[in-house]
Amino acid sequence: MIWRQALIILTFTLAAVLVEVTLLSRLGIPGATPDLVVVTVVALALAMGPVQGAVAGFAAGVLIDLAPPGDTLLGVNAIVYVLIGVITGFAVDPRDRTVPLLMGIVGLSTGAAVLLTAGLDTLLGSDRVDWEQMPSLVLTAALYGLILAPGMILLTTWVVRRATPEVLVTA
Amino acid sequence: MFSRRTRVLLAVLVVASLTFVILDLRGGEGPFATVRSAGANVLGGLERAAATVFSPVIGAGSWFSTLRDQSSQIEELSAENERLQTELQILTNDRARAAALDGLLRVASVGQYRFVPAEVIAVGPAQDFSWTVTIDAGRNDGIEQDMSVINGAGLVGRVLKTTASTSTVVLLVDQGSAVGGRVAGTDEIGIVAGTGSQDSLEFELLDPMADIRVGDALVTFGSKGGRPYAPGLPIGEVVKVRGTGGMLTRIATVRPYADMSTLSIVGVVTKPPREDPRDSVLPARGDVSIIPSPAPLGGDGDAAAGDEEPAPDATASSAPAEETAAVPVDEVAGSEAEQ
Repeated sequence: MIWRQALIILTFTLAAVLVEVTLLSRLGIPGATPDLVVVTVVALALAMGPVQGAVAGFAAGVLIDLAPPGDTLLGVNAIVYVLIGVITGFAVDPRDRTVPLLMGIVGLSTGAAVLLTAGLDTLLGSDRVDWEQMPSLVLTAALYGLILAPGMILLTTWVVRRATPEVLVTA
Repeated sequence: MFSRRTRVLLAVLVVASLTFVILDLRGGEGPFATVRSAGANVLGGLERAAATVFSPVIGAGSWFSTLRDQSSQIEELSAENERLQTELQILTNDRARAAALDGLLRVASVGQYRFVPAEVIAVGPAQDFSWTVTIDAGRNDGIEQDMSVINGAGLVGRVLKTTASTSTVVLLVDQGSAVGGRVAGTDEIGIVAGTGSQDSLEFELLDPMADIRVGDALVTFGSKGGRPYAPGLPIGEVVKVRGTGGMLTRIATVRPYADMSTLSIVGVVTKPPREDPRDSVLPARGDVSIIPSPAPLGGDGDAAAGDEEPAPDATASSAPAEETAAVPVDEVAGSEAEQ
């Protein structure tokens, strides 16, 4: 059933990327753009496990970098999202999933994604990062991630349970 | 802690990502750039489709970013709007005042009245049923009781009381007001009495056989010494005639030239002309402003209107007319008007 999993991952990440660049970023919400892509990676990792989370992170990172108007280095987001997917999939014990814990993971991930991407970009020689804005960007990204998380987690769990119940991470 | 499979996969993914980064860092043309732009093309197409779906939401949601801008802009614009409106009001007001003064000056220069300009600063309440206003000129400005008050359109009333700096004016339309009037172009005289309504006066002709028609203009025939009414001031226009030629008296309804509800700049006639200006101050028919030409009066083919008024232009008509017919009735006017 690996193709079905791949299809789920690709569909979710692609949809998340499209919604993020065509809808969320254009709403002009103050602070960071609500990072639906990271939330989706986290949600997929929570539902399917670390391996699938890593793959989802890779796909999402490549897609978001490829998608116009993205002009960052291709692969930077992929590395960051792979890490997020893997760590999320491993760190959260299926028997210990409480709402505050899940929210904490999502908040950490979305905030960390901003920080890590900016750090990597800077390391690779980009001078576009404005570190003065970073605190507010990290905080707002985490906040919007928290807002988006419940719906996305429920949605991925529901789809995975229907389509590929064998990989669903359950207690 | 990771299984072997997981480790391999992770390594592959991270290496792939790093490869992308390195390839992208290298930049320039090449197969990688082609692949990248192809991917971007595909995703761009998908984005366009998605954007079409989301465009209504964007339209509704775009206020987010512009919210602060807009509210400050709205603030700025409404402040500016307020300022401009105030300016406009001041300007309009000034223009109206200038026009009023202009009319007043014309009346005064044509009729050679000497007057003190003043502004209406208070109006008596309607429930008092008296038509009186307060003007901002008083004894200190040379205003005395029983002086005529005019504006650019014609007679307004007379000074009832004065204080040092203000005066009370009783308007033509007040029920207690009575003015000696003369039908312009004739020597028919009568009493113009106020009715208490702002746009009608009653004109009672002394001669029941007199010929008076709708559209005839009335001017004051003047009281003794020009008080309370200076001669030659336009009063109003006959709009209705009641009673036939054989009745004891004939009464006409007259609409005053001066709009009593919008009085602002008025003039108090301190010194009437030495000679009666007769009909020279009358406005042209159908014209709200004063035109020092009586020509339109005769223009209706009325035989009575055609027999006098030597010259229609301002310089000639500002010279006193030759007739002295008004003089004998002066005494009558004085006594009648002071009733």
